[in-house]
Amino acid sequence: MDKLLRNKKAICVFMAPAFILFTFVLFIPICQSVYYSFCDYNALTPPKFIGLENYKTLLSDTTLIIAIKNSIFFLIFSCVTQLIMGLFLAALLTNIDKGRNLFKNIIYLPCVLSSAALGLLWMFIFSPKLGINQLLAKLGIEGPLWLMDTNGYIILPMWVIAFVALWQYVGQSMMLYMAQISGISKSLYEASYIDGCNKVKSFRYITLPLIRPMVATAMSLNAIGSLKFFDLIFNMTEGGPNHKTEVLATHLYQQGFKYFKYGYASAIGVLLLVLCLIVTAFINKVVKTEQYEM
Amino acid sequence: MKKKFLATVLAATMAASLFTGCGSSASENSGVEEITWMFWDDLNATEDLISLGYKDTIDRFNKDYEGQYHVNVVTTNLEEYYAKLNALVAAGDAPDVFIVSPGPNLTDYVEPGIAAPLDDYLAQDGWKDTFTSDAVFSQMTYNDQIYAVPLNTAAACCFYNTEMFEDAGVEVPTNWDEMLDACDKLQSKGYTPITISAGTAWCLSMVAGYLCEEEGVDLQALADGSASWEDGKLEAAATKLTELSKYFQPTAAGDTNDVATANFYNGDAAILIQGSWAIGQINGENPDFESKCGVFQFPGTDRIIAKSDSLAMSSTTKHPEACAALMKYFTDETSQKYTAEVGGKIPVTTVEYDADKAPAQLAYVMDIFENSKGTFGFYNESMPSTETGAHFDDTMVAVFLGDMTPAEAAKDMEDYYNANCR
Repeated sequence: MDKLLRNKKAICVFMAPAFILFTFVLFIPICQSVYYSFCDYNALTPPKFIGLENYKTLLSDTTLIIAIKNSIFFLIFSCVTQLIMGLFLAALLTNIDKGRNLFKNIIYLPCVLSSAALGLLWMFIFSPKLGINQLLAKLGIEGPLWLMDTNGYIILPMWVIAFVALWQYVGQSMMLYMAQISGISKSLYEASYIDGCNKVKSFRYITLPLIRPMVATAMSLNAIGSLKFFDLIFNMTEGGPNHKTEVLATHLYQQGFKYFKYGYASAIGVLLLVLCLIVTAFINKVVKTEQYEM
Repeated sequence: MKKKFLATVLAATMAASLFTGCGSSASENSGVEEITWMFWDDLNATEDLISLGYKDTIDRFNKDYEGQYHVNVVTTNLEEYYAKLNALVAAGDAPDVFIVSPGPNLTDYVEPGIAAPLDDYLAQDGWKDTFTSDAVFSQMTYNDQIYAVPLNTAAACCFYNTEMFEDAGVEVPTNWDEMLDACDKLQSKGYTPITISAGTAWCLSMVAGYLCEEEGVDLQALADGSASWEDGKLEAAATKLTELSKYFQPTAAGDTNDVATANFYNGDAAILIQGSWAIGQINGENPDFESKCGVFQFPGTDRIIAKSDSLAMSSTTKHPEACAALMKYFTDETSQKYTAEVGGKIPVTTVEYDADKAPAQLAYVMDIFENSKGTFGFYNESMPSTETGAHFDDTMVAVFLGDMTPAEAAKDMEDYYNANCR
């Protein structure tokens, strides 16, 4: 191994595929996006440099303000609920012997299904003429307009979409926590039981401190995923009614592909990138991790 | 040595397989010119009679030109049509022929040179002379050059359920007060008076357009700055919209155009305010409904909103002759007869069709056309840009949802015009 690491040629060869992929698929497009965000560009004629105009427009874009509010709601909701639910399910499943794999697969299944298909499915379930409201009507209850109600600071459709997203992605958090929990040595728990710990206390004083690094990772993944969230919203409400469920990614899509404003859409993209970086840095700072021998 | 040879052969095979997708297609090699046509409905799943007519036209073209030309159809749903078309154009993969709405939508493709001028093709074989008049090209003409070919004309009207009207003792309204009175009577009889989509914003905006017309809004004067949105006319129109919205179905805020139209032909609402292109959808989805479907002009206006589907040709197409031949098929006698006799839309050529075969609603629409004092375009398609039109749509939906008062809507439009259009 040491011999291999001394061979600079070998290092270059092994790094080349990832480096090339990163450069062409990520780095260059990001740089291009940053450049276009300073241009008036419709992708059909050459970009025209306009300085900070697109960024000034961001400040007065009322739909963007709604999109930021919704994205932040989504971020907080996802991070909190996925942390609690993911951890709860992971702790529960690691402590059962029978049917663990079955439940694990059932909970993880929505993660591997197409978000577009799931979005349509849930749209039908929440449609006033099908699904839940028809069941409620049979019980004599008039169901709310799940995906159409526009009252409140965070409107009902946003809560509905957030719950659907939780249902879809909680399996991913659960798997991450399970992987970490199963790596904790059983002898630690046995020692704690001898010292008089019950299951709750051993979870509080052994499991939680030892899975902290995974909490930071899972929360960062959740946060980035929430800020970039697009598919469920696009398929369930398309950002409506009247842009009230718009998030940053759907607003970016509308500006770029509906109005040909690629320059402005790039500025939204840069804002999204900066937000992702800030949130990830914040999570890594807040969730302090220490390495323990497990 | 043997291993090395085998590895070389495998590597070469893999490399060769990478290039199998490149180059001309098999049919191009065999001399058939392949072109693509992009449309806003799924031709294999649709029940819409106009869309089915387009499918027939494509099939007829492919059969008649077998071995010479072949059309591949690219379809999407209406809501995502322009987004997908724009993505293809931006990727340098524009479809050879694509459907487009006249007005700012077409302008988006003419100004950057995406759509090709069609005058030379229209001049061939007297094709242009087959159209009812040169006026049908007015919205498609830029600097004296025609950039799209109209396929049919439709008018925005009020479709109504004659049985519900009879049951509620309602006469066809001819002015605003009668319209509100009719809705009141229908509602007290237990019917949903009006079905409309605010989820598909242009549907609600179409009604707002009629209300603006009633109040005398002058879009040209607004665009050049000689009039103001805050002169009280838009405010009055928006106030009327809020009055009318009391009679919409409860789910109007989120219903799509298709859902709102289905409410009508399924007998869940008495009035549908929609373009006459809906005739094909109504009769296609529920053929029994034709006999109880009446049509009246939006009350209180002398002019009607008219619109045509049009075809544009990509300026980058390698097969312009094939594209022109396809476009001719859409406006030939067979297609235009079908347009009227089955689809229920108004033909754009001088074709003679059998009025007895045509849907009953077409005769009512033709009556409305003949009695109107002129036509005007959709409001959102008559503004300086597609984005301005979309802003008008959103503003009207905001008024409907109660997010803006009519006065705030007028101020918002004035501010938007000052910032972006003047």
